[in-house]
Amino acid sequence: MGFLARLAFKNLFRHKLRTFVSIIAIAFSVMVVVFARGYVVGLIDNLTLEHIQYDSGHIKLITHEYRDEQRLLPLNYPVDGLGGGGLDEMITALENVEGVAMVVPRLKFGAMVSTEDELVTMGGWGVDPELETAFTGIEDYLVEGRMPQPGRLEVLMGTALLEKINRRVGEKVTIVFNTAFNSLRGVTFNIVGRTKSGIKLLDEVVFYLPLDQAQRLLEMDGQVTELLLVTPDKKLVLQVLPRVQALLAEYGEDGRYLALSYKETSDLIFFMDIAKLIYNQIYIFLVLLACIVVVNTMLMIVKERTREIGMMSALGLESKDIMRLFLTEGAIMGVTGSLIGAVCGSLINGYFAKNGIDFSAATSGFSSEVIFNSIVYPLSSPGNTIFAFFLGVVIVTIACVIPARRAARLEPTEAMRV
Amino acid sequence: MALLEMRGLTKIYDQGKIEVPALRGIDLTVEKGEFTTIFGPSGSGKTTLLNLIGCLDRPTAGTIIFDGQELGGLDKKDLAMIRRHHVGFVFQSYNLIPVLTAYENVEFAIRLVNKYDKKEIRERVMRILEAVGLAGLENRKPNELSGGQKQRVAIARALVKEPKLVLADEPSANLDSKTSEEVLQVMAKMNRELGTTFIFSTHDPLVMEYARRLIEIRDGQVAKDQRRE
Repeated sequence: MGFLARLAFKNLFRHKLRTFVSIIAIAFSVMVVVFARGYVVGLIDNLTLEHIQYDSGHIKLITHEYRDEQRLLPLNYPVDGLGGGGLDEMITALENVEGVAMVVPRLKFGAMVSTEDELVTMGGWGVDPELETAFTGIEDYLVEGRMPQPGRLEVLMGTALLEKINRRVGEKVTIVFNTAFNSLRGVTFNIVGRTKSGIKLLDEVVFYLPLDQAQRLLEMDGQVTELLLVTPDKKLVLQVLPRVQALLAEYGEDGRYLALSYKETSDLIFFMDIAKLIYNQIYIFLVLLACIVVVNTMLMIVKERTREIGMMSALGLESKDIMRLFLTEGAIMGVTGSLIGAVCGSLINGYFAKNGIDFSAATSGFSSEVIFNSIVYPLSSPGNTIFAFFLGVVIVTIACVIPARRAARLEPTEAMRV
Repeated sequence: MALLEMRGLTKIYDQGKIEVPALRGIDLTVEKGEFTTIFGPSGSGKTTLLNLIGCLDRPTAGTIIFDGQELGGLDKKDLAMIRRHHVGFVFQSYNLIPVLTAYENVEFAIRLVNKYDKKEIRERVMRILEAVGLAGLENRKPNELSGGQKQRVAIARALVKEPKLVLADEPSANLDSKTSEEVLQVMAKMNRELGTTFIFSTHDPLVMEYARRLIEIRDGQVAKDQRRE
């Protein structure tokens, strides 16, 4: 009945302050849900993306032995081809697997630089600059200079690492490392670029050099330590992984090589997925907290309007109509509060999604092994805003069933006696 | 022709360990178009009787036949439908909805009947407001009306759907004698013009003066039933 809906709307103006407080309580909780969900989803998405880009790809192909010792960056368990074929043929075979969009080779090794005071340990990543740029967008973090070029003794370093070794872009640096044959070697490189990413690993530990130079200097021609397989979407990994494993089995290399999805190479992502589910329950709890205010207000309203409910019942209004009247009042507060909260939360998220939230100070103690960008960019998406809006409306309306039922169950004679 | 027939009407309130009899076997017949007053001391059972007649409550024993229909077998919904279509209520404290205007308060009752289109509703509401002397005040909210005007709105609300019966519980209790008289005149006029049956419950001698039938209730029983010309 439209008339009851209009009455419900007008009723909200009886005690404007009380209605306002209820709406603000809902708005605040929905705003917090929008922001918290945007923050958590943004954090998990960033974390997953960075893990994929700087550690695992969507599928990581390594040897079994390398997996056990990868923290030590060993060079004696390389990826070097399938069934006696070379690395290039292996990459071509992998690129031909349905769902594989790109194969990114990396040759990782331990290295060090001597400064006047100390020996600085580092990790060298021999990469194909073109593929690396296409896959990770490392150029976005480039604050000075350029990527190293194949065929040249050039390196790209993080800002913090450059500070540690007291060098600048344009200067030279002599890097000492062990070759695959375990002989110590020192090579002087030109520093051609500087990055600043917020990711501790990239900023403080890693330096990039061209893959061909890394292979030559480490005496690992046609070899890399890992191949990262990239799919058009991370959701496709579960479909593509069995095809890659089938390819390895086809060449009889499944005993040597290991193909791992990005989730298998990070415990953190597994826990984050669980956290996502837990947070979804926390959001419901947050809105329920606001519902306490609304339900309390509605119960007060029912008490105040007991005689009026009796009168409406006497006029012939059925219990279900009275219930509908109070539910409509609650729903209007729910919709208004949720709308305000969703819009405010969305604006806040939009601002932080653009500018990020800097946790550098808090994450300074993190190990560089944790690939975590200290600047968190919350997710600002219509889906998140709509989710919070509907969560607010639905929970508030359901919560209003309690006072509405109380109103509907009042016997007219009892109600009129008040 | 009888609008209401009550036989052996009994109402006992169960208050935990004790049972309180409010009505003890009332036999009454109310004809269509009557202007009847039920009076008696506080606690005599007047309001209980009115609640039973108005389908707001059910008797513990006995029968009520409303316009040929026995109420005993009806469920809550059916009783609500009888109230909605055939019974109008006028309360001591007006019980108007404060956020609605006089027009909307009256409109509320006729909207529930769901029988008329928008234009008809407007015509009927305006006609009844004029009949009770509230022409020009239809856009005022209850807090902008005097006690007498509020009670007129309540009367208009009770009458707008053209019910068979109007029940008025102490309609003059909150009004001064002049306003009470005005309100009673309005109801008497409606009784004459529309043929609506009115039953009052009151202590007010003025209301009794207007009644053409006086029923005295004492200790839950009819003590006196007197008709006047």
